[in-house]
Amino acid sequence: MPAPASRRNGLAAATFLAPNLILFGIFVVVPIIGGLGLSFTTWDITNGLPKWVGLANYRRMFNDPLVGQAVLTTLKFIVFGVVPTVVIALGLAMLINVRFRLVGVVRSLYLIPAAMSFAASAVVWRYIFLDGPGYGVLDYVISRFGITPPNWLASETWALPALDIITVWLSLPAATILFLAALQRIPDALIEAATLDGAGPVRRVRYIIWPGVRYMTALVAIVALLSFTNGSFDLVNILTKGDPLYATQTLVYYIFVTSFSYGFFGYAAALSVLQVALIGAILVTLRILSRLAR
Amino acid sequence: MIRSRRWARRIRILAAVVIGIVLASPMLYMVAGSLMSGSQLSVQPPQVVPDSLHFANYSEAFSGLTRVIQVRSFVNSVIFTVGVVGLQWLLCVSGGFVVAKMRFRARNLVTAVFAISLFIPIVTTLIPTFIVTFELKMINTYPGLILPVAAQTGFGSLLFRQYVSQIPEELFDAARIDGASWWAIFRRLVVPLAKPATAAYLAISVLTAWNMYLWPLVAAEGGSLQVLTQTLSVVGTTFQGEVTPQNVIFASVVIVTLPMIAVFVAVQRSFMRGLAGSGVE
Repeated sequence: MPAPASRRNGLAAATFLAPNLILFGIFVVVPIIGGLGLSFTTWDITNGLPKWVGLANYRRMFNDPLVGQAVLTTLKFIVFGVVPTVVIALGLAMLINVRFRLVGVVRSLYLIPAAMSFAASAVVWRYIFLDGPGYGVLDYVISRFGITPPNWLASETWALPALDIITVWLSLPAATILFLAALQRIPDALIEAATLDGAGPVRRVRYIIWPGVRYMTALVAIVALLSFTNGSFDLVNILTKGDPLYATQTLVYYIFVTSFSYGFFGYAAALSVLQVALIGAILVTLRILSRLAR
Repeated sequence: MIRSRRWARRIRILAAVVIGIVLASPMLYMVAGSLMSGSQLSVQPPQVVPDSLHFANYSEAFSGLTRVIQVRSFVNSVIFTVGVVGLQWLLCVSGGFVVAKMRFRARNLVTAVFAISLFIPIVTTLIPTFIVTFELKMINTYPGLILPVAAQTGFGSLLFRQYVSQIPEELFDAARIDGASWWAIFRRLVVPLAKPATAAYLAISVLTAWNMYLWPLVAAEGGSLQVLTQTLSVVGTTFQGEVTPQNVIFASVVIVTLPMIAVFVAVQRSFMRGLAGSGVE
């Protein structure tokens, strides 16, 4: 007899979920809880077992000038990366939301950077950013406009923006594709009717396009936020190692250095809690902002 | 009026093409540079078109003085990607199916935990994950490389949950009346019907796994388990990068990226259609 829909399927659910939840438990849940526990201990490579120290690691964070710097660097990296990603991606999506014969090929140009890893991009962009007369392609292009190009990766001011440029470039495809999906749900007839009624491009964006894609903006921002958080490690580790003078040391990179270079596992775990709190704070801010925009 | 609109359309298409080329230009530069001679690549002003095609750069990426691409890393990357995606796909389809269609007490809790895990990047749990893997004696083994990444099932499970929950309940009722077991429903109904979600999932997770850098970096300290992102990153900055010619490095990056471009082209159409809801093109 078929089971009535109202009955619980506990046993079947457990069987089907077991492989997923067992692996997820071992390699995701246990590390999250373990990491939280570890943050209340000191555990250096040199002294055997973790030792309970209460909130000492958290107090240490407040006295560590590198923490403040890393948090600030992370926020700068995210704000100057995610905001341009969202704005530019919306513009690009509107631009390629048009039908013509080779639109598929043209769209591929916009999406194809998504195929590249942070590591591969780092290697290529290193040559694009090369400093000095007669070296990098970007410097050549910039100087054609009569502007003296900055030192990129070697400059305290420009190293972080340089990493932002790479990450924006890598984040645009996903952001554009999401906006494009939202745009394609707006009926063409609606835009055409508005145009015939004399609505210019600005008013069309304001009253038809923006309301149609607004729900997607939060998702785009979150996807970009996670990509900037994860990607900042790859790029920093390959291109700058946090230099010059900690100007590119994001919190993620500082966590890595603290644990795998210095071996302060407990302190690094506390910094990881700070990193998660930072993401949480950004998400809350995003939510408040999207409420205000409504 | 109509005429000016036609011109506006033409200008817009032209702008779309030009900006597209600008956005793709780092990759185009990489491909062009990978086919140039060393002297042409270092000429100022920078050249765009190779004067002759130096395919030797590609063989040199494998052989050359520094051997940027080791066949071993290539094989490792394939094993890692196939292992992670294959296993994770199975876990996520079944998990998403359960959360979407079965009734059990912890359902909301499981869904919430999956969702929360999305916002805890692997970087922040790196040390404990490393310790767990170490305690399981899996560091420097394929399972240690693959399992902790395959276990990140939050995103995939929610993706399939979303998709499977849209399958009409009547189909499941009909199957149950025919006496189908949950397993039969899973195999004959859920897996085939979830194909569009599978395409989107594959596109995202294959890219993620192939391009992953951090976990392999700590899970495979030894050379024999290195994946391509690691071997590439080495030529990014170190001495090896200084002695390897730029055109060979570019050829290496092309070799590493080419499989993903192939995946990309293969799934682009169905991926876009799945996202857009209906085929607009």
